[in-house]
Amino acid sequence: MLEMRGIRKAYGAVQANSGIDLDVAAGQIVGLLGENGSGKSTLMKLLFGVVSADAGSILFKGQPLTGHGPAQAMAAGLGMIHQHFTLVEAMSVTENVMLGAPDAGPWLSPRAMAQRIVEESAKYGLDIDPDAIVDDLPHGRRQRVEIVKAILRGADLLILDEPTSNLSPSEVDGLLAIMARLRDQGRAIVFISHKLDEVLAICSDIVVLRDGAVAGTCKAEGATREGLAKMMVGRDMPPPVARAPSAAGRNVLHVGQMALVEDGIERLAPITFSLRAGEILAIAGIDGNGQTELAECLAGLRLPTAGGIDLDGHDVTLAGVGERTMRGLAYIPVDRAMTSLVTGMSVSDNLALRDFDRPPLSRRGWLERGSFAVRASEMSQRFAIKMAGPHVAARTLSGGNQQKIVLAREIGRHPLVLIAHQPVWGLDPGATRFVIDQILALRAAGGAVVYISSSLEEVMTLGDRIAVMQGGRLSMPVDREMADLTQIGLLMAGDVGAIHSDAA
Amino acid sequence: MSSLSGVDAPNNGLPPGKVAAFNTADLLRRALAGTATRAILAVALALLITAILILIAGKNPLLAYAALLKGAFGSLDRIIFGLNKSTPYILAGLGVALCFRANVINIGAEGQIAVGGIGATAVALSGLALPGFLLMPMALVAGAACGALWAGVAAFISLKRGVHEVLCTLLLNFVGVLLVSEVLHGRLGEQGAGFPQSPLLPRTTWLPKLVAGTDLHIGIVLAVGAALACHILFWRTTFGFRLRIMGASRNAARYVGISNMRQTMRVMLLAGGLAGLAGGVEVLGVHYRLIEGFSAGFGFNAVGVALLASLNPMAVLPAGLFIGFLEAGALAMQREVGVPSSLVFVIQGLTMVFVLCALGLRGERSKV
Repeated sequence: MLEMRGIRKAYGAVQANSGIDLDVAAGQIVGLLGENGSGKSTLMKLLFGVVSADAGSILFKGQPLTGHGPAQAMAAGLGMIHQHFTLVEAMSVTENVMLGAPDAGPWLSPRAMAQRIVEESAKYGLDIDPDAIVDDLPHGRRQRVEIVKAILRGADLLILDEPTSNLSPSEVDGLLAIMARLRDQGRAIVFISHKLDEVLAICSDIVVLRDGAVAGTCKAEGATREGLAKMMVGRDMPPPVARAPSAAGRNVLHVGQMALVEDGIERLAPITFSLRAGEILAIAGIDGNGQTELAECLAGLRLPTAGGIDLDGHDVTLAGVGERTMRGLAYIPVDRAMTSLVTGMSVSDNLALRDFDRPPLSRRGWLERGSFAVRASEMSQRFAIKMAGPHVAARTLSGGNQQKIVLAREIGRHPLVLIAHQPVWGLDPGATRFVIDQILALRAAGGAVVYISSSLEEVMTLGDRIAVMQGGRLSMPVDREMADLTQIGLLMAGDVGAIHSDAA
Repeated sequence: MSSLSGVDAPNNGLPPGKVAAFNTADLLRRALAGTATRAILAVALALLITAILILIAGKNPLLAYAALLKGAFGSLDRIIFGLNKSTPYILAGLGVALCFRANVINIGAEGQIAVGGIGATAVALSGLALPGFLLMPMALVAGAACGALWAGVAAFISLKRGVHEVLCTLLLNFVGVLLVSEVLHGRLGEQGAGFPQSPLLPRTTWLPKLVAGTDLHIGIVLAVGAALACHILFWRTTFGFRLRIMGASRNAARYVGISNMRQTMRVMLLAGGLAGLAGGVEVLGVHYRLIEGFSAGFGFNAVGVALLASLNPMAVLPAGLFIGFLEAGALAMQREVGVPSSLVFVIQGLTMVFVLCALGLRGERSKV
């Protein structure tokens, strides 16, 4: 049904897809596996026409698809269910399905549409009430609304982008059953997931992507989790950078049974770890498994609902950002454009964000512009920030140089503990190297680092100890020498048994 | 005027050399550059379109504009009229600009001005046995305090109950304006007057004249001083720095530990104070009594002034003068050429729209 050949796509210097082939036949479910950034999303966006490919050809139901947008893709019979739904919450199911439906016509006939929804819903066991308001539906139901929407638009091939990531186990079982019915009706499905068990359970064929290329394809029958995990992450890891073993410093950070419950949902299961000076704790994990919550609890942006945080002998569980900063905490959040930088403000202002309210940057509420300028020229030299001048807006700098501003501000003040969340995300190799070197330099100077990343390579390169986050839980940190890639891959893919055996 | 002495304070101890790039003059230049040329173009365009409308109304646009110019600048009296007219727009516009800069959408100046007028009147009529040079400033302070209180109420409701500040400030406008009528029909009203107004205020509480023998009161000096003070506050203090971060990115403000609640409350109190001061100045400087509807439309014009100024505190000064003189001239044009009164508002409205289009508000605001 679908043939993709030699698909290539580059974003700047990053080759997101470098010559990928993908085949899907009618009545087949193909699993698409890979780490974050392995090129899965890009490939599907290309197929759906959200972005256009640099090279390669797509043949769908015998027709070539080129230069198409999402509208043409849908008309051709492709349906995509995004991780984040595109439903209008205030509207009913019927109204949502009618929105933009090609055959809705200028005169709406909600009753006829509701009838069709009921029919399709019965056919695939979706169990949808067409009159329900989307806002009242749980997450799993909304997903079914998306599915019925795609089916009624005549989708023969459905792309499900990590459809199980926000579902409860029983909802997952329901979804897999629906997928099986869709397959039996002759539709094709591309199932994007990190979770090996689900992929093995439902798919007939599995394609593993790594670094923008196909790392391997296999039949689900006979494949093992270990084999797939290895294929997913198993490049030949460069041997860890040779470096002085961290001197056993004193404990600077202790997190005890810290948990976070928000809106009745457990975001963080009780987490306990300690960190010594001169040590990097690297936390691996697929995005969205509680890493942001963990980082923000440590940084003081959210307050944990249980447990405590001890920073350099002081209980800072309830302390605000200001007090933690004073006590030597630094934080590089994942979102550069919106959070750690004010892109409309000047470089020198951005370098001052943390301590503008203290000498030398200000006295009695008056900004010392001279000190701003001194800081800007010092930091731009020390961190090699390329810019037209200290008063240009941070937005005018390249991504790498923007991150250098953040580094200069957070590392430049020699913090006791640095929380770094995906600090090299979206950077080119040169800037990545620079950031990593700076973090290693901080470690060598006795700083402690919590390094959170979804890239195993970074985690393995940087961590003195390595742990995995999955579903809001943190596995027991293991020394880097003891870390086993397959084991980590399994932990990331939600193999609870692995967590237990690890913690034991 | 004490604020003016602050101009020098941040310069103390500045090392020489490259630091010169940060001096006030440079900031000013940067704040105003680009804004000016585009604003002038937009005004020209608005005048052109209005000319067509005047033609359609059967009048000679050239004559009309001549009358407008003459009405605005034709004599010392006219200029003084324009200056007095601009004063409340500048004062209240400054507060609105600061709020908008912090992404706090305060459109409550209308009510804050009205309540400020009540506060100033109440103190001026209190009959306190104080010398005039004390009672007058006290009345102004009372006006500012009442305006601040009014804004504070809106901020409190907004922050504590999660009601959008646009709604709180907008609705309190109606209450504030009606409160003026209420007190004029009650405690502060003049007995036997045919119109809801207060008795004439004691002469000692009137704002002193800037030029003896004319109507020009010291309000415009207060407005210029306030503009300078707000400019410095915004660009040179930690308070202003917090506002800029908050306005540019709520996420970043949260990240560096700025309390949204505290900052919002502070900037609202400041804006309310400025608006209340504007109300007090209008009462003590122009009418010498509280009159129903004395400030009708002032607060909404203040929003326009702030937007015309691209939310730059220093640019509020020319923007306020522009609207003030335009209004003064337009009134004269109506009198002399007989251009329908509604066209006067058309000119104002069109000018505002064109200037705002030309400035490209969003682009300007990203400059923080």
